[in-house]
Order: sequence, then C-alpha cells, then structure tokens
Amino acid sequence: MRQPVLLGLAGALALAVLPLVANPYLLFVGNQLAIFVILAVGLNLLVGYCGQLAFSHAALSGIGAYGTALLKVHLGLPFFLALPCGALLATAVGLAISYPALRLSGLYLSLATLAFAQFTLWVFMNWEAVTFGAGGFRVPAPSYPLIGAGLGTYYLSLALAVLLALAAASLVRSRLGRAMIAVRDGEVAAEALGINLLRTKAMAFGLSAFYAGVAGGLQALMLGYMAPESFDLFHMALMKAMIVVGGLGSIAGSVIGAGAVLFLLEGLRAFKGAQEIAFGSLLIAAVVFAPRGLAGALNRLPRWRESYLRRPARDAAP
Amino acid sequence: MRIALKRLPMLLLAFLLLAPHLAVAQEVPGVSAEAIRIGSFGALTGPGYLYGRLVMNGVEAVFDKVNAAGGVHGRRLTLVREDDRCEPSGAIAAVRKLVFQEQSFALVGGGCSNATLAARGEIEQSGVPFVNFASVHDGITLPRARNIFSTALTSGIESQAQIAYALDQGARRIAVVSMRDAWGRSRYEPLMAEIRRRGITLVADEEVPPDANDATPQVLRVRQANADAVILLLYPKPGAVFLRDAAKFGFRPLAIGQSGIADPAAFEEQVGVPGATARFVTISMVRYTPDSPEVAAWRDAIQAKYPADRLSVFNLFGIGNAQTLVEALRRAGPQPTREGLIAALNTISDFPTDAFGSGITCTPEDGRCNKTVVWIQKPPGGPIRVIGTTTVQ
Repeated sequence: MRQPVLLGLAGALALAVLPLVANPYLLFVGNQLAIFVILAVGLNLLVGYCGQLAFSHAALSGIGAYGTALLKVHLGLPFFLALPCGALLATAVGLAISYPALRLSGLYLSLATLAFAQFTLWVFMNWEAVTFGAGGFRVPAPSYPLIGAGLGTYYLSLALAVLLALAAASLVRSRLGRAMIAVRDGEVAAEALGINLLRTKAMAFGLSAFYAGVAGGLQALMLGYMAPESFDLFHMALMKAMIVVGGLGSIAGSVIGAGAVLFLLEGLRAFKGAQEIAFGSLLIAAVVFAPRGLAGALNRLPRWRESYLRRPARDAAP
Repeated sequence: MRIALKRLPMLLLAFLLLAPHLAVAQEVPGVSAEAIRIGSFGALTGPGYLYGRLVMNGVEAVFDKVNAAGGVHGRRLTLVREDDRCEPSGAIAAVRKLVFQEQSFALVGGGCSNATLAARGEIEQSGVPFVNFASVHDGITLPRARNIFSTALTSGIESQAQIAYALDQGARRIAVVSMRDAWGRSRYEPLMAEIRRRGITLVADEEVPPDANDATPQVLRVRQANADAVILLLYPKPGAVFLRDAAKFGFRPLAIGQSGIADPAAFEEQVGVPGATARFVTISMVRYTPDSPEVAAWRDAIQAKYPADRLSVFNLFGIGNAQTLVEALRRAGPQPTREGLIAALNTISDFPTDAFGSGITCTPEDGRCNKTVVWIQKPPGGPIRVIGTTTVQ
C-alpha cells in the first residue's frame, strides 16, 4: 500500500482512539477535522482534478446541511435517512448548476458560482416558512445505538471521511478521474482524445456537490443548530485555503490542508488576533514557496508518490 | 525522625480537619485555593469585537479592582478569553474549550446572538453558570435554563419598551423600518408580537438592507403613510441612511432606535445632516455615557489597562455584568460550587451596578436579569443625555 494511504489510515486510527483520552472539546475539533477533510476532498475533485474554479462549495454544503436538518425537523425523518437525502439534494443542485456553468470557464465560472452561492444564502435567510430565516433553528440530536449523540456523530464523521477519501483516491485513478485530469490539463486536447467535456465536468460538479452535501449534513448533526452564516463566503475562502495550502490535485493534500486550516482556527486561539495574520501568511507562503501545496513538498520525499498533483502555472505547458 | 513521629498525630488531625475543604477546592473545576477561573467567549476580532473584546475589557477591569482589594473570599479572579468569531461552530468550540479544556468555573460572554444561541445547548448541558453580557436574542434566555442568566437587555424587552415609549409620546400612527437579517429578525419578531398584543395597526412596515446606501423609496412610503413615530430596527449605517434621506424630504417623525445604535453622537455624525437627528431617541443598556463623571474611575481604569482604548458603552456592559457575577461569587461563600453560584445568582435582587439603568434582579423563574431600558438623546450641538427609563415587566 502506498505511503500517503498508510499515513492517512494511521491518522484515522489515532482519531478513532481519541475519545478514550480526549475531552469533549478535542472531540469536537476531531469531528470538525473529519468534516473539513470531506469538504476539502470534494472541492479538490472539482478544482484540483477537473480544473473548474467554482465558488459554490460552501453553498452546496449549506444545501446538504439544511436538507438534512429540515427533513428531520419538518418531516421527522430519522437522520440515517435525512443525511443521505440531504447529500443527494446537494448533488442534484450541483448537477443542475453545472449545466449553465459548463458554458463558462475561468473567472466567468467563478463569478457565476459566486452568484449562485449568494443566491443560496439569500434563500436560507428569506424563505422563512421553510428555512426559519436568518435567525436559524435548532436541529434535534440524532440517536445512535449504544453510544451518545456526540460520540456517534464523531465516529460517523470519521468513518465517512475515511471512506470518501479512499473513494476519491480510487476515483482519480479511474477512467472518469483520468478524464477529469485531461479536461483540467487542456480541454481541446481532452476533446481530441474523445472525452465528453460536458459529461465529465457535470460528473465532477455532481461528485463534488455530493461530498459537500455529506459534510454539510454531518455539520448539522454535530452543531445541533443551523444558521445561514455558517455557509457564507468566509467558509468558502476557508475551503479554498485548505486545497491551496494542501495541494491542488492531491487527496493527501486535501487531508493535510484541512488539518492545517483547522489548526490555525483552533490551535491559535491562544494567540488572540494572530489567526488572520497566520492565515494570510500561510496562504502567501503556500503560493510563493510551495505552489503545489504541502503535498507537493511531501512528493519530493522518497517513497511518497502522488501522481496527479496539479502543476504550478510556471511549469504548465504553454 | 523522632520529632517527626511525635508530630504525626497532630498532622493527621490537621489533615482530617482540612480534608473536606481541600477536597472541595480540588474537586470544583476552575477553583483553586488562590484563584477562580472565569471563561469568556465572544468576538475578539472582526466587526463583532465591539460586543466581545470591548465588553471583556470591562469585565477584566472589574476583576482587577476586585483582585487589588484581596479577591473574592481570598481568591483572585482570572478571565480566560476565547474567540467565537461570531459564528455558531466557533461559539460551540469556544464553550467546549472553556468548560472542558480550561476548566472554567463559570462563563460570562455572548456577543453575536446566533453564535450564543447555537452554544446555548452546550452551556445548558454542561451545567456551568453563564451570565450573558451582550447577546440580545430572546432564545438565549427563553425558555428558562437554570444555569443561564443575562445582564444584557433582550430584544423582546427592547421591543416592548420601544412600543411603550412611542405610545407615551402620544404617537398614533406608528411605522416600523427594519433589517431582516439574523439580528433584525431577532428584534422584528418580538416587536410584531408586542404590536399584535396591544392591538396596534402599523401604518407602514418597511425593510432596509444592512448595506443600503439609499432609503428614498422607504422614506417616501413611510411619509405617505403619515407616520408620526418610526421604530428603527436598523444598524447605525442603514439607520443613518434612512434619517438622512428622511431629512432630504423634510420628514422628521419621532425616530425610536434600539441598543444597536448605542452612540447617538457617532450616529449624528454618520447622518451628516444638521438637525436630522433632533427627534431621534435610542436605547442604551447603561445609564451613563462614557464621558459622565460618575464613571470617571472606570474611565481611568480602562485607559490604564488598555492605553489604546477609551471607555465605551461596551466596556460598561462588561463592568455591570462582572459586578453582578462578583456579587454572586461573594454570596456563594468561601467554598464555591457551580450549583452554589447558580443559587446565589438567583438571590440577586435589585442589585445596583455602576452601569445598568436600575438594579439587577435574577430569579429561578426568569434569567433575564436586566429589564430597564435607558432612553438617551443627543440634541443637535449638545451632549448626550439620559432622558428617562422604561422598566418592562
């Protein structure tokens, strides 16, 4: 088995035994890490592997979160049904927005998806009969056999994070994954190779939205409270930072980037006001010194090989 | 060795006598023989820092004064601050860290309403006494959670006071101009409930977005409705835009603000039209302005500890809040427990602080301990003055 996978599994194992030694705060941070990993892996599939510069990920995770929570609150669905339904709703919306977005690329795609994200926030805030408006609402705690709600959601998040990261690592080596990489590296060349651009991009949007939806649903269960500000542009910027710092086109990078961003958010609580400075410094340092992210730096290590890292602009073919 | 053996029975006796007290000191989280650790969460950065960091500075000023005088029953008070970034997940993480990692004995805090509301479940479940200092959402204190108290006015209390003030001033045609974001909603809904309860029919109900640069259509509709009082559920910026545009049309109804526009001097500057704020009154949570001679000692204390800051009303929120907590800690006795502190908070009745409009009263049935709204006004060219209070029952 390759080294990144082994290290990832070792990390997951460490997180699995964390409840034995950690207090509820550290468990919360561990749970958030699992959710961040799912978000980052999903976003990297779209941006890092397929090269689509979209800003809709936070909104799609919001749709997953609201979908899960509202199905539970309004219809009384148990969470094991509400969570996949919320994720599928996000997937459906992701696929729906992919079609108009497919006519666009680069900055125009960014602007279109940004507009979609703002529209989604507007719906969360103003469709009060359904979403309870800007004031948010409480989400009933899920119940799990044998263990409490907090621990249950923690293990569910961890299991899904491992499963979805492994699935993504497998996907990028599949026919679809290679097609996504070909589209990223040159649309004309990809078409010349017989790749269906529309289908490939739509699949990337849909898959990415599914990951976002699952992460959103888990967040709803973990927080027990939903409010629109949890899915605003700041959170989109956080997600982008995870994959830029970790490494575009790298599953290991997504995991590392999620951890790095969470470390900044939580680990630097002791240094008041330093979060913004550290956050900005990390992003600048990543862009200047490690354009392929932390995964790019790790890729120089012997026996650490991840083939699909996105090349920095200066190395790219003209 | 023989001397030590001779003293052993005495030492054992002393240990047996002291053991229960030592046990209490060790068992109660956040309480040692020397100090009591109080946790605080709110926004330390970003635009919400007014309701977080500045309020905590006020709390810390009180703690310093108490510590200089020997502490509470000989224990120093220490404040541990956590940034909630004004967002739900940040507030939950901050509360968990303060309770489980920092082992805080009690909590003070709460700036942004949605963030505090999200953390309410965690706080309630932990059983740690919490005294909210700035969040206004009614959902934080209602329904009653036995360990949650608030020295901040709640949006429901302010809404009731706004209606009462308009009616007291003889208003017959009342209009509401509001924002519909989380903050605006937390005020709009209780206001509408109060309007329905009193059987009032609004003549206009307009919305102005938080980032508005123009409110001409809203002004014209309110003017066309011939409103004689306008209740503003707006932040300072959209509120200033509304009054500026109203002045453009010579429309100057009684404008009734709330604690979101807590500095009428800054608001007058923001409106920028001479005389446009002449009929503007607003709510302050505190009965003094930062320039009042009554708070000179606190002004000096804040400036000595935080040289870059000047005393603000937000510091005063923290000062009143911390004085209430310190009083409850004193009443909880020399061996404080969390349950003891909750019980002590429930005995606080008409307790005078250096900040709030009247005495603070907490009961087992109602954790909203501050129900007195202070009305302030700044006549054009004059200083800010307190023009009255309304106590909501």
